Amino acid sequence: MIEYLELTIKNLTFRKMRTFLTLLGIIIGITAIVALVSIGEGMTKAVNDQFDKIGADKIFVASMMSGGGGTGQSLTDADVRLVERIPGVKFVTPIYTLVAGSEFKGEEKALPITGVPAKAAEQTFSDARAFRLMEGRWISQGDRKKATIGFKVHDDFYRVKVNVGDKILIQGNEVEVVGIFADTGDNDMNQRAFMDFDYLREIMGKGDEITEMVVRVDDISQAEAVSIRIKEALEKNHDTQSFVVLTSQELVKQITDSFKVIQVVFGGIAAVSLIVGGVGIANTMIMNVLERTKEIGIMKATGAKSIHVLRMIVVESGIIGIIGGGIGVLMGYVISLGINRAAEQYLGPNVLTTAVTMELALFALTFSFVVGIISGVYPAYRAAKLDPVVALRS
Amino acid sequence: MSLLKLEDVCKAYQMGKVVVPVLKNINLEIERGEYVSIMGPSGSGKSTLMNLVGALDRPTEGRVLLKGKDISRLPDDRLATIRQRMVGFVFQQFNLIPRLTAMENVELPMWFAGVPKKERIKRARDLLVQVGLGDRLTHKPTELSGGQMQRVAIARALANRPEIILADEPTGNLDSKSGEEIAKILSGLNDEGKTIIIVTHSPELARMAKRIISLRDGEIVDDRVS
Ligand SMILES: Nc1ncnc2c1ncn2[C@@H]1O[C@H](COP(=O)(O)OP(=O)(O)O)[C@@H](O)[C@H]1O
Ligand SMILES: [Mg+2]
Repeated sequence: MIEYLELTIKNLTFRKMRTFLTLLGIIIGITAIVALVSIGEGMTKAVNDQFDKIGADKIFVASMMSGGGGTGQSLTDADVRLVERIPGVKFVTPIYTLVAGSEFKGEEKALPITGVPAKAAEQTFSDARAFRLMEGRWISQGDRKKATIGFKVHDDFYRVKVNVGDKILIQGNEVEVVGIFADTGDNDMNQRAFMDFDYLREIMGKGDEITEMVVRVDDISQAEAVSIRIKEALEKNHDTQSFVVLTSQELVKQITDSFKVIQVVFGGIAAVSLIVGGVGIANTMIMNVLERTKEIGIMKATGAKSIHVLRMIVVESGIIGIIGGGIGVLMGYVISLGINRAAEQYLGPNVLTTAVTMELALFALTFSFVVGIISGVYPAYRAAKLDPVVALRS
Repeated sequence: MSLLKLEDVCKAYQMGKVVVPVLKNINLEIERGEYVSIMGPSGSGKSTLMNLVGALDRPTEGRVLLKGKDISRLPDDRLATIRQRMVGFVFQQFNLIPRLTAMENVELPMWFAGVPKKERIKRARDLLVQVGLGDRLTHKPTELSGGQMQRVAIARALANRPEIILADEPTGNLDSKSGEEIAKILSGLNDEGKTIIIVTHSPELARMAKRIISLRDGEIVDDRVS
């Protein structure tokens, strides 16, 4: 085998330009594959990060009766108690989300507010990485007229910065800021205040209505089954159109599905260029064989069997494949780095981080070697069955 | 038993629709250690005969017996094995592989025969020294003169220690001085016991052989021992 390599390298360096042209197809194919997979891995990681942010053991139930226009169809405290009794449910946190009139230092603005029971607020959101405190604390047990605010609310929502200890007027009621979240990178979360659920409903006059509930399950693997049970239970009192039940997985799946399209497109490009590359190798090898007819005749006259000739040509095209693959891996790596840079610039840091792993590089090399070998089979077969007498006369 | 025996050998080539007979009813016996030269005008079938004797080709009719074994209907790879072990070819155009060094060209037949690397290198070096190219081991063919190339080719023909050396116009492309050197090497090999069959137009070279066979239009017209 080593000897075949020696011979092959001599053959290839003898025809540098053609070797290079032959390599192009494989290079493009492998570059596309490496770039694609590295982006795919980056996306998967981004999705997993998203998953971590949400928390995997959650089920979200949201009322679809928007803007308080409910006619008894809206989810209520009774539904919370119903869901709490469902097997597999650890606990339920009711949530009321709305946009309320606010005033700070004389400036009036509509502020999105999430009402969550003060004693359960931290527990509900703490494992979700989106909410890291920059200053102060979460609202907690007994914090009726208190709020923890998003980064933008503190920073530039009002003309004057809001700090811990400041008081904002919500629907005319003084509410004290006890904590500020760090920047989550997500404007919806940054521009939001978290207040006690009961107090918020009270000042807004919302009775026993809720807009959402966050359900935590005992066992993550049972989330799907529990979500079905929740759906069935709620359907007894509500129109199926009036609420949605989503597990964390389902939420994440919506994201990954959109990535699949991109992957299919990239995969198609890679496949086409690999086929083109393979045909290119086959073509070059056929030309090589034609050009080397005499040489093959000489080899046969000096005792080469068909298998020797066959192996020589196949190994040669395999080597072309692996060299193309090597260059392709390098170029794919460069593209992957470029995409990282671009993503950092346009999407922000750590949103999409592509990665070319060792496994990916090895896979690409093996794959290009195999493509090379397959492309060499036909030319090798032609070379092997050359009649030595005819070949020598050429 | 003769080393080589041809019985009623015919060889014809299909040229389009016509069949062109090249060798007609050749009967020939060659013993171990003989030095035979084959003469005849161009196109008389000398190379074709060499190819049959060297297991490179099969006759259309008749039998070719090598050490009493009929090789005239063997499959390609069996013929290849016979070429590996029994015969060494030397050609008019030298037929070296251009990008391989002298050493590597000599190693090639051993490589096909599966001779281990160490042994291969030792033998290749010894053979090149024997033909007077001990100082040209790593030269490429383009860096050698015609005579030197032909000596590499002889070393290559000897690589697997064959009993028979087949040289088809080995001096045809050489000046007379180089030609004489090649002739000397071939006689030396015959003295060591190799059977040598040589095709040549040169009367001097032919005279070194103990037996001269003349071919005309695919037939043996003369076969004499000097
Ligand atoms: N492979 C072949 N196909 C067709 N004709 C051939 C082939 N090989 C040899 N011939 C013909 O056979 C004849 C004898 O050829 P060859 O044995 O090479 O002659 P020599 O070596 O005596 O000059 C020539 O007429 C040549 O054209
Ligand atoms: Mg001839």
